[in-house]
Amino acid sequence: MDEIHDATSEIACDVLVIGGGTAGPMAALKAKLRNPKARVVLLEKANVKRSGAIAMGMDGLNNAVIPGYATPEQYTKEITIANDGICDQAPVYKYAERCYEIIQELDRFGIRFQRDGNGDYDVKKVHHLGTYVLPMPNGETVKKALYRQLRKAQVLISNRFMATRLLNSPDGSIAGAVAVNTRSAEFLVIRAKAVILCLGAAGRLGLPQSGYLWGTYENATNSGDGYSMAYHAGAGLANLECYQINPLIKDYNGPACAYVAGPFGAYTANSEGKRFIECDYWSGQMMQEFYNELQSGKGPVFLKLDHLHADTVGEIETILHKVERPSRGRFHENRGTNYRQRMIEMHISEVGFCSGHSASGVFVDEFARTTVPGLYAAGDMANVPHSYMLGAFTNGAIAGEHAIDRAAEIDWPEVSAEDIARERDRVLAPTRREDGIPPNQIEYKTRRFVNDYLQPPKVTAKMEIGQRRFAEIREDLETRMVARDSHELMRALEASSILDCADMAAAASLYRTESRWGLYHNRTDHPDKNDSDWFCHTILRKEAGRMISEKRPITPYIVAIADEERGAYDHQRVRKQA
Amino acid sequence: MPLAHAPTTVPVTVDAAKCIADKGCTVCVDVCPLDVLRISDLTGKAYMKYDECWYCMPCETDCPTGAVSVQIPYLLR
Amino acid sequence: MAVTDPFEEFGDVAELALGLTDPDPAVRRVAVLSLAETADPDAVPHLAGIAADPDAGVRRQVAEALGGFDGPAVASALAGALADPDRDVARAAAESLTELKDPAAGAPLLPFVRHADAFVRAASLRGLRNLRLDTSLGPAVAALGDPEPAVRAEAVGVIAYLKREEALPSLIGSTRDPDADVRRAGVGALAFSRHGHAVDAIADALGDADWSVREIAAEALGRTGPGVRSAALLDALGDSYWQVRQKALRSLGKLKERSAVSAILAALDDERPALRKEAAAALGEIADPAARSGLTAVANDSDPDVRKTARWALEQLSA
Repeated sequence: MDEIHDATSEIACDVLVIGGGTAGPMAALKAKLRNPKARVVLLEKANVKRSGAIAMGMDGLNNAVIPGYATPEQYTKEITIANDGICDQAPVYKYAERCYEIIQELDRFGIRFQRDGNGDYDVKKVHHLGTYVLPMPNGETVKKALYRQLRKAQVLISNRFMATRLLNSPDGSIAGAVAVNTRSAEFLVIRAKAVILCLGAAGRLGLPQSGYLWGTYENATNSGDGYSMAYHAGAGLANLECYQINPLIKDYNGPACAYVAGPFGAYTANSEGKRFIECDYWSGQMMQEFYNELQSGKGPVFLKLDHLHADTVGEIETILHKVERPSRGRFHENRGTNYRQRMIEMHISEVGFCSGHSASGVFVDEFARTTVPGLYAAGDMANVPHSYMLGAFTNGAIAGEHAIDRAAEIDWPEVSAEDIARERDRVLAPTRREDGIPPNQIEYKTRRFVNDYLQPPKVTAKMEIGQRRFAEIREDLETRMVARDSHELMRALEASSILDCADMAAAASLYRTESRWGLYHNRTDHPDKNDSDWFCHTILRKEAGRMISEKRPITPYIVAIADEERGAYDHQRVRKQA
Repeated sequence: MPLAHAPTTVPVTVDAAKCIADKGCTVCVDVCPLDVLRISDLTGKAYMKYDECWYCMPCETDCPTGAVSVQIPYLLR
Repeated sequence: MAVTDPFEEFGDVAELALGLTDPDPAVRRVAVLSLAETADPDAVPHLAGIAADPDAGVRRQVAEALGGFDGPAVASALAGALADPDRDVARAAAESLTELKDPAAGAPLLPFVRHADAFVRAASLRGLRNLRLDTSLGPAVAALGDPEPAVRAEAVGVIAYLKREEALPSLIGSTRDPDADVRRAGVGALAFSRHGHAVDAIADALGDADWSVREIAAEALGRTGPGVRSAALLDALGDSYWQVRQKALRSLGKLKERSAVSAILAALDDERPALRKEAAAALGEIADPAARSGLTAVANDSDPDVRKTARWALEQLSA
């Protein structure tokens, strides 16, 4: 295993879904169910059984729009405000309308949601923000349940194949993808009438404070391959300067899940045990408050549960230690931290791209279409803001349905043998060197410079130095990187995606010459928000081999936001200072 | 090839007495999202080949015989 | 040149099943895993066929594997495994039973509700709960007389999921059970009903000796709709447990109980921020202008969460 084999094969399908985490399986399933005769292929670089951000499940839905508890209008409004207005509402609204149907479907698949005494969904009340939290006991079985559905529907599953580039037809539309086997380095060309990208976040962009490459906030397998592939295929990527930065348990680097513990009475506190977060929304503004407190004399920051009844803490522990990041319990045990007696030290995560918690990503419309015909994107890598797990499922479903309909109408687009040969040379180059720099060192250096030069507060001169360092690393990556086996080759390709994402993060951050979204895009040399020039999306894309950025107007709102409500985002900061 | 080795203590360990990989089981290897586990040609048992662990636990949870244990990587502990 | 088949192959059921006859239990176990992975219903008879394997590890694997399938044959095999001498096997079977969705899986479970072993009785009731079958009502009502509290609590669950008015007397009876877990289940179960007797029973439970029963009663009253015994909820605002007071505040808010405004205003002075927040939220839900000055005072509370809830509540008063 892992030896390098020189072989190439070619397959054809109607719809190719890349990424078997959350959005991908749902996209593939919906496409197949809508047209059972079609060939639907699900490609995954690990194994669909346990891959992606929810490999170990999820403890609940935090954006469930359930009739009787919340409305699509209310939800769309809140998401718009939480993103400081930089949001096309149509995809958000569509999500809000369809997510309940998806919840019921997941329920039929055997994913269990918390129920009250009468067996109805036990939605947790969060008063003035609408009610969106639906806990999932036994959430650790999510992936298994999905997998069974894929098997039943006879979706073709290709595990251990890592997609490296998309193929464009001469007219620019999507014609398929190329992939390489992570256990044998065998090359696979997949011709497809439509491709759905579901490759998750760019979680290996910044370096965690531990220095351990894999100790990331996101599942470390999410190396940003989707952003890189979309970019090279010519798709537009929106608002990448709006980074993902999350509160987390320090060192463990996993979510503290204040939203799980919150309804039980836990909260984020400073070293005096006092609350300090004023912001109503999970947003860059909230992260700015978090960052300020960390830097202040009242830091660091903690998750406080020691005031709760021991039984309540026990209940929280059962949820937190079983699902999503179950090793959390083991971490606290090692350090002798008992939630009942001691507050848990928190910190902020390294930077990344992820629409699950922010507003950046491959630009998509309400049908999950990117700006490239035939190319779709869903989940953490598509720019439907704050979509979380349920957004990945719902938008994945939307993408699958639309893509299969497109496939029925067209013939296989042309692919260029030359493109394939060129990509093969690029991919296999590190395996053909006898000597050089291993991928882990290329990756470490890239990510360290992301921390040094791109992390907010952002400084123009620093970001420009960062760009020069990245160019030097790129030279090394293209001419000196060596992979000794197929597993290292996967890491080498990931290092290449990570470097692409670092370049995109720098370019996007430099382009928007204002500050917005709190900490996410806090530019010290452009400290103010400038609505007259920058109340728009920024779109980054590849044109004639170069990275360019341009403005794109916000599509007129379908749910009106009153001026005073729009100000709610900034209002939080004013309050804090008052 | 002038590549040096950096020693590292591995987070995932396998109890060889309990492991049934030699009988055809591949569960832990299959479920690792980072694909860091392999079955040894010498012993027929599973082991951690690459120190690239997200301490996410499917290997331990899904192991049918309870042979796999995951520790938090030392740098984070 | 030979190339790896890019698609997952799960093998032929009959061929995989040959491994079940291997003398080595580890090989049998691997065969069970492979059969489960096919997700092919044809695997069920093979799996059910070795549910009585001499090796407990194999039996547990079978009990887990069957959770991926559905139907009467699966239910029979799992119910049989509930009485396994090995507790791990029995627990795995009980867990898998909760995965059943096919209504036809109910019939084979019903006889186990009267099994000699209490664990079997409780687990089969738990399996029946999700299926929501009319035929399980009678056996569940009978099980309310079970000597074992865990069985009675599961029986309440089965009845509660069916939401049938004719079962109200049984459910009301369960709110007076000697066991607190059963009473808690019973009180939670009555919340679907608007019937006077059901609401009375919930209100009575606010006087239960166990605080967790009082807490669920305070919460359940909020779901029963108008016509509620608001006096009982007002009394609950004086409960010695803050959890009960919190749920009572929440329910009064949900019910928009104007007569409770002055009592809720008093809770704005509670030493616990969580309760001040709950009180502010309830006043916002009720939106009675009489709450304005009290809310204005806590708009400068020392706790940010209380402050922002109070600001929200004040907006509701103006709306």
